[in-house]
Amino acid sequence: MRELVAQYLSHSISRRGFVNGLTKAGLTATAAQSVLGAVTSVSLAQGAGTTTTPYTPQGNATAPVPYLPHDADAPARAPSAIAGVKPFQGTGGAAFAEQLIACGVKYVFGNSASEDAQFYEALVDRAQLKYVLTPHEGPGAAMAAGYIKASGEPAVVMQAGVVGMVNAMGQIFNAWKEQTPLVVYSYRTDQSRRAGRDGFEEVANQEQLAQPITKYTWLARRPDMIPETVRRAFKAAWTPPFGPAYISWHSDYNDDRVRTDIIAQQQFDPRMRVRPNPDEVAQAAKLLVEARMPLLIVGDEIYRAKAAVTAVKLAELLGMPVTQVRQLYANFPETHPLWVGNTPAANLASLTFPKNPDVVINVGNKFQHNGAAPIVPRGPKFIDMRIDFASMGNVMLTEVPLVADVALGLDDLYAAVEQLMTPALKAKAHERAAEVRKFAEQARTLRALVVNNPEWDNSPLIADRVTYEIAKFSDPDAIIVHEAGSVAMHSFDFDPRGGRELFFYYGSHLGSGVGTAAGVKLARPNQQVICLVGDGSFIFGPTALWNMARLELPVIVVVYNNHAYSGPHSRVVANVPSGRMVQTGQFVHDYLGNPDMNMADIARGFGVNGEVVETPAQLREALARARVHTVEGKPYLLDVQVARRGVGWAEKPWVPPIRLAEIRQKRV
Amino acid sequence: MKFLLLATGFMWGGLVLAAPVLAQDAAPQHPGRAVVLSKCFQCHTDAMFRDQRQDRRAWEATIYRMVGRGALWTPEEIKVMADYLGAEYGTAAKPAAPPR
Repeated sequence: MRELVAQYLSHSISRRGFVNGLTKAGLTATAAQSVLGAVTSVSLAQGAGTTTTPYTPQGNATAPVPYLPHDADAPARAPSAIAGVKPFQGTGGAAFAEQLIACGVKYVFGNSASEDAQFYEALVDRAQLKYVLTPHEGPGAAMAAGYIKASGEPAVVMQAGVVGMVNAMGQIFNAWKEQTPLVVYSYRTDQSRRAGRDGFEEVANQEQLAQPITKYTWLARRPDMIPETVRRAFKAAWTPPFGPAYISWHSDYNDDRVRTDIIAQQQFDPRMRVRPNPDEVAQAAKLLVEARMPLLIVGDEIYRAKAAVTAVKLAELLGMPVTQVRQLYANFPETHPLWVGNTPAANLASLTFPKNPDVVINVGNKFQHNGAAPIVPRGPKFIDMRIDFASMGNVMLTEVPLVADVALGLDDLYAAVEQLMTPALKAKAHERAAEVRKFAEQARTLRALVVNNPEWDNSPLIADRVTYEIAKFSDPDAIIVHEAGSVAMHSFDFDPRGGRELFFYYGSHLGSGVGTAAGVKLARPNQQVICLVGDGSFIFGPTALWNMARLELPVIVVVYNNHAYSGPHSRVVANVPSGRMVQTGQFVHDYLGNPDMNMADIARGFGVNGEVVETPAQLREALARARVHTVEGKPYLLDVQVARRGVGWAEKPWVPPIRLAEIRQKRV
Repeated sequence: MKFLLLATGFMWGGLVLAAPVLAQDAAPQHPGRAVVLSKCFQCHTDAMFRDQRQDRRAWEATIYRMVGRGALWTPEEIKVMADYLGAEYGTAAKPAAPPR
């Protein structure tokens, strides 16, 4: 009963939950209401003169700490008078749950772990913290990351010790590369009083495994430090530039009884928003207004800061063309007359227009360099506006580094440019805008030629036809989760200002697409979510389909199934041109057929309906059926048979001759 | 359709001028050759031409796949490139010499 009172006083349970708990404990309804009245008067008195109970270590550091059950007969701690600080006593696992709630976490994405028993126990009476059981840690972490990206809200991923952690590490890597504030916890399976004895699942220093791919890793040193460790992880992850954090503690800490403080997120997390240096803003504005042909490169910090509208305003003020190199999101409206398209390759030289910008400004793009050539060539003056200051100047020569929250930075830069705009400069910008518009219109016409492909009506379908049909089918505000790496996104006309949104991938640990889409749908239940995955990517992480079925997440999953790893195939040919592989057609690494995988059958195994699609006409009909399913709250999967295209592909590709039948001697 | 870094050889290439490797002889050059040279090597090396042997229609389809990836070519440019590649790198053309 004391526990119930403590939970009610700390707002961890509702009035109804409190009364229900009392009646379950044996009180009559009348008695429960009476207790509620008494406790409510205490609750109202909170903050009016009570004091925080200071932390008192329980015994010395080396003495065994006896396990006390959840409802142990310990005196309740007095409520705190300090806003946002709540004294807590209970198990370490319950302290973990309480601190997650205080951090604003609504969803825990986890895979089962017996050592987290006290955490699960704590969830029973904390309905506001919902546990999503994910049957594999990788797609589970992708689901959490998708939820975080689409909602802007915190979430946590938890797994069983190091064995679950290593399954999640691929998605931690992705979060690291794409700068997603993913907080990951797994206990250390070694008990604190028998560590180092090669116990079950034990590995030394497991937190160090995650260190190179996280912003922060930490091991709670005492059970009462669990909440502080959790707070620090959320603060690190959510302080820009964002990134993942990993925390851990000995599993017996979850069972130990602790007295500690739970602190609300707003009391410890500065969520800093940085304005740029005014001198540098003035310098950047001067460069831009004096430029013959400035060029704006947009990036994901714009999407995260919800600054697309300001980016558009700045481009319009200067009549400045806009492009983007590889990012997660589409950060500029693709139908805008100043949009000149994504760079076809990862450098500005691949743009058809403008050919020779003299000033380039990047706003929020992390710049993934995969080649020796800098994305922004050495020549134009370069202004780099980002909160991710650490990578500024590493590759490109930078004239003006503007370290800022890009929403504030764009505001300031817009104001500075506007001040400098004389009638003559406005006329120049107007003239330039007309030139850009003329190119953009022509480019739009030429992009539309994609439908003239002579293989447009082929079966199996060409990937561009699949993409085109889905683009025509998708809602005006659909979210496209894209993990079909060899497939080009065209025809969607993405627009971050409320139109179609793109959730691409950046880190290239495959198997994120289906999980990401599930998390996105959980965060945005009122928008159509379509997941595009290659067969290779899909098969790395289909288990999130089960989450879609269980949680009734109506996502349309489209698998571009060419029974092959197309990207690695093409790169191998490029790396060994005219080699033995090309001459003989013997590629050991890329063919996923023989037997062909049926993704619709796999989906059915997870409780998701689906079908195999072989022709363009079938695709349209299947998409219509998918819509019916999603309207009814059900996910649906299309396994679309896609043609293999590129150097060296045969109708029936060669398969490495490993045949057990030739060497086995017993029919067993 | 596994993707790690490169999408069908298109996405990440640097500016590589590979003109000497493309088919050439003393005869007047096909007008499509100059278009290919000026329009493809912002993104590609010559590897995609060297080892590919396919008919004109398949080359045309290849070019249209690049349109889907952001390449901006007029129908006339696409036609002349497909004519050239179909003639010089068609199914009857000699396979590329193996590397030494």
